[in-house]
Amino acid sequence: MSSNSLELETPPAADVSTRARKAARLEGHPLLPYLLVLPATLYLVVFQIVPLLQELGLSFTATSLLASNQSEWIGLANYRDLIGDPDFRKAIVITLIYTVVCVVAAISLGLGSALLLDAPFRGRGFARAAVTIPWAAPPVAVALTAIWIFNAQYGVFGHVLRFFGLEAGSLNWLDSMDYALPAVLMITIWQIFPFASVVILAALQGVPHEQREAATIDGADRLNVFKAVVWPTIQPSVMLLALFSTIWSLRRFDLIWLLTQGGPVGATNTLVIDVYRRAFVNQQLGQGAAVGMVGVAIALVVTVVYFKYTARAAKAGER
Amino acid sequence: MITSSARHTLRLVAVLALLGAAAFPIYWMFVTSLTTSSQLFANRPQLLPSFSELHVYKDIFAAKPVGRWLLNSAIVAVGTTAASIALAVFPAYALSRFRFRGKGAIGFGLFTTQMLPEAMLVVPLYALFAKAALLNSLGGLVLANTAFTVPVVVWILKGAIDAVPLEIEEAARVDGCTRMGIVMGVVLPLIAPTLAAASVIAFFHGWNEYVFAQTFITEDRLHTASVGLAGFVGELSTPIHSVMAVGFLYTLPAVVFYLMVQKHVVAGMTAGGVKG
Repeated sequence: MSSNSLELETPPAADVSTRARKAARLEGHPLLPYLLVLPATLYLVVFQIVPLLQELGLSFTATSLLASNQSEWIGLANYRDLIGDPDFRKAIVITLIYTVVCVVAAISLGLGSALLLDAPFRGRGFARAAVTIPWAAPPVAVALTAIWIFNAQYGVFGHVLRFFGLEAGSLNWLDSMDYALPAVLMITIWQIFPFASVVILAALQGVPHEQREAATIDGADRLNVFKAVVWPTIQPSVMLLALFSTIWSLRRFDLIWLLTQGGPVGATNTLVIDVYRRAFVNQQLGQGAAVGMVGVAIALVVTVVYFKYTARAAKAGER
Repeated sequence: MITSSARHTLRLVAVLALLGAAAFPIYWMFVTSLTTSSQLFANRPQLLPSFSELHVYKDIFAAKPVGRWLLNSAIVAVGTTAASIALAVFPAYALSRFRFRGKGAIGFGLFTTQMLPEAMLVVPLYALFAKAALLNSLGGLVLANTAFTVPVVVWILKGAIDAVPLEIEEAARVDGCTRMGIVMGVVLPLIAPTLAAASVIAFFHGWNEYVFAQTFITEDRLHTASVGLAGFVGELSTPIHSVMAVGFLYTLPAVVFYLMVQKHVVAGMTAGGVKG
């Protein structure tokens, strides 16, 4: 655990130098590490990096899906078009709302359920396993089930709302301008919060018991114990979780696509859905690629900000 | 002041509510699959399964190639798992144990490939796979899926190898083990729980994958369960209880498999990538 590179505490200097010496002793031929990383690196270059660069190239062209070998170089025109495109602006806003709500809700629910499942009670092992079921369910099956649950006339969701006398129960939420995004969010959060719960529960096992008990005996209330003892231990895990959830929400496709295809009228049209829609529905590969590049740029910015922040936090921890 | 027994009851209620919310959609998929057509469109939903309707499961196998779909998904999932682990073990070891020029760049590269959405790369990958005659091939799907699982698997395994003390490797070395022997015989057994966790992640990716399976495969006999099931969206001729039966058959193996290895996954997450 002490060798964790993203952990905030830094090992004492002596420890570092012995580690370095040992690492040096273990090192064989100077080319060995390159040999070890070569196959996977080549693989990723062929199947990720080259396609990414091709997609970048495509974003500077006007290319139709139907005649993809006749492509015309148009420079930055696709990007200029996007600036004035209200659909694209809406997609940015939808993406930000979708991502922020997913991350905040998944982590809050994950934290709440992890704290709930951390305390001892009968059947705890069963409960811990059962709560992760949504994470194991295939998104395509989740989407099909959700479409049925949200069916306006016969779906159980509508039945329940109408039972409580709510008007919104007579709508198909996935078809409604106002309710499609909340419905897609509910379904996504249901699917992803167990992962946050598992990770935070694992992190909670690292909270020092003595400190926690000492704080409780000193008369600190639960909130203060949480702030003083629990949070500092789990904070790095929660931050990393926030980063991964953000990236995964920015790139989530199958669940949203099968639920709504980005509709109605763009109400759930995130950037990734927009990429696919422009490429395969509108058959404009160049425009789709340009939207994709904007999405990748946003993910990159999030990652860089995260690493800057953790580096600063690590420095602050040293002082 | 809340008494401790009241607090205990509150906790129990909260846990039950949590489990109910987590399990409900899966339960509902199952109940719907075992509901008669007339009950499906009744004014009140049927809350319990009617086991006299079990023939739905037999009928759906006759009506659609469900067995073939599930088999194809299993092939893709197992292939993706094997290829991901085989490709990821050595770079994970190198990133954990060596200092070398370009290590930072490779680490960052691994991380950034995590951001690339399948739905975006599907266009250039389609062109590549068409040239390499990899369309309409389950092997092609394995190749495409592995590109998206290798980075996260390397990341997770590296975290676990970091936690293996160097002294153990040195001792094996003194005993005359080769480097290859050390990695395969000493390091891998020590990180077995993390290997299990990484395998589960790769397996689920292959089992669930939809975009490539939908785009690269046009032959019916090669369709995976994700594509077969997605084909029911907007289709009206198949009754909803049959659709839910297929969905349940596709979900059940994943959930059961996950519950079986769940302990290892949690242990692996703790040791591995997600903690850094």
